[in-house]
Amino acid sequence: MYDPYSVLGISRNASEEEIKKAYKALSRRYHPDANVNNPNKAQAEEKFKEIQAAYQQIMKERTSGYSGGYGGGGYGRSASQGGSGSTGGYGGQGGSFWGFGGPFGGFGGFGGQGMDTGYEENNYIRSAGNYIRNGYYREARTTLDGMNERDRNARWYYYSAIAHSGLGNNVAALEHAKRALSLEPDNMDYRSLVRQFENGGSWYEQRQAQYGYPTSGVGNLCARWACTFMLCNMCCFGGGCCGGHGMYYY
Amino acid sequence: MFGYITVNKAEMKFREFDVYQSYYCGICRELKRKYGVCGQISLSYDMTFLAVLLTGLYEPQTLSGSCKCIVHPFENHPTRNNIFTEYAADMNILFAHYKCQDDWEDEKKFLKYVYGRLLEGKSGRLKVIYADKIRKINLLMQDFSDAEKDNSADIDTLAGLFGRVMAEVMVAKEDEWAENLRRLGFFLGKFIYLCDAYEDVEEDIRKGTPNPLKLRYSNADFEEECRTILTMMISECCREFEKLPILENVEILRNILYSGIWGRYEAVRERRLHRQT
Repeated sequence: MYDPYSVLGISRNASEEEIKKAYKALSRRYHPDANVNNPNKAQAEEKFKEIQAAYQQIMKERTSGYSGGYGGGGYGRSASQGGSGSTGGYGGQGGSFWGFGGPFGGFGGFGGQGMDTGYEENNYIRSAGNYIRNGYYREARTTLDGMNERDRNARWYYYSAIAHSGLGNNVAALEHAKRALSLEPDNMDYRSLVRQFENGGSWYEQRQAQYGYPTSGVGNLCARWACTFMLCNMCCFGGGCCGGHGMYYY
Repeated sequence: MFGYITVNKAEMKFREFDVYQSYYCGICRELKRKYGVCGQISLSYDMTFLAVLLTGLYEPQTLSGSCKCIVHPFENHPTRNNIFTEYAADMNILFAHYKCQDDWEDEKKFLKYVYGRLLEGKSGRLKVIYADKIRKINLLMQDFSDAEKDNSADIDTLAGLFGRVMAEVMVAKEDEWAENLRRLGFFLGKFIYLCDAYEDVEEDIRKGTPNPLKLRYSNADFEEECRTILTMMISECCREFEKLPILENVEILRNILYSGIWGRYEAVRERRLHRQT
């Protein structure tokens, strides 16, 4: 079985820093720029690609793990093994913005669901679902937006949330996910989608705690720079482009 | 829209701050060398983040030096320079130029017009080097100003267009990291745009100028909502950041992304709360 960790020569429970170190060391050795005069440069490039792919895959698994919710890392792993997850959102299919794979790397979890739940009697809803499962978010958006106001049920909001998220519209995505849930509070898919969007924030806040939140500290830093900016502003036509904002920092 | 991407010095080691400042001074020197004093005064902290980020990612050869400048005439400041401080300086000029154009069109600030024209002269060479990037940004800026005039535009559209501009700025070369950097820049741009909207919302309501947060301002949970939205943007940005194999100066970058970036928001929020009570 393909194991990206062995490509980088590290164990599965290596820390993020160890992974990055291992990647850096290998890529320095095999990067095409470092092998211009190497007689075996084709091999080196091949090796470099392999390292690159392994690294990207590990990072994808780890960061989708942050989001928790949707089976987190578990899902990431299955999707990476030859696209058994049904969306493969990472691929960058034509339809999506620049290949956004959904908010946290695709929605493999919901493939197959829904079809038999009776939600999708409406043809448009069904085709929107298909677009989403294949990562064509833009097409899904067009289909959904073309639908009548009164056909916009919970399922509509659910798909709409995923399509928005795939296109990078995360404000609308969260709103629509919440809307879907408020229409059908018992639906587990809708609940976990909302949780997934919100978990992104809590992951961040956990990390943030290590770095301290700026309060009065910011003032100290900027007092000095405020002077700099003021001086700048004096010499450039009283408030030119240069970070004029610096002064807002008291 | 300048000056958001900065450090929280209080939470930083002295050594880290010195490194950070050496990149700032490095860019400043680069600006002076390439564009003269006129370019130098356009310097902002945002581009320092860009230089440190790309340096950490690609680890290019970096020259250390030192210099004295107008602002600190008696102190010698260490500087660091590499291909990415040069890139950051170029992007700084480009952005300053756009900002002037924007201010001239929106508020008819004549001095901004003059300064913009000056910068335009200086940035002529950039049009050749970054032709593709500039064409993309120009189109996005056009869409952006059209969308701003159209009052129906929602948060994601407006912030998204700005985000896509930032995305282009973040990508110094089209290589294996371009997609990650684009995504990082996209959400960072959305964050900055919304911070700016948050800061200006009261003034924009008063003046009747466009602002995507206007409609939400009257909501009881406006503050809570803004914070949730901003956290969502920056956490997507950070998710992308954490995927990049950056070891060098990673603590500086994390200080910016997890803490420093909230400095301006926090200052605005405190002032607003203070006024309301």
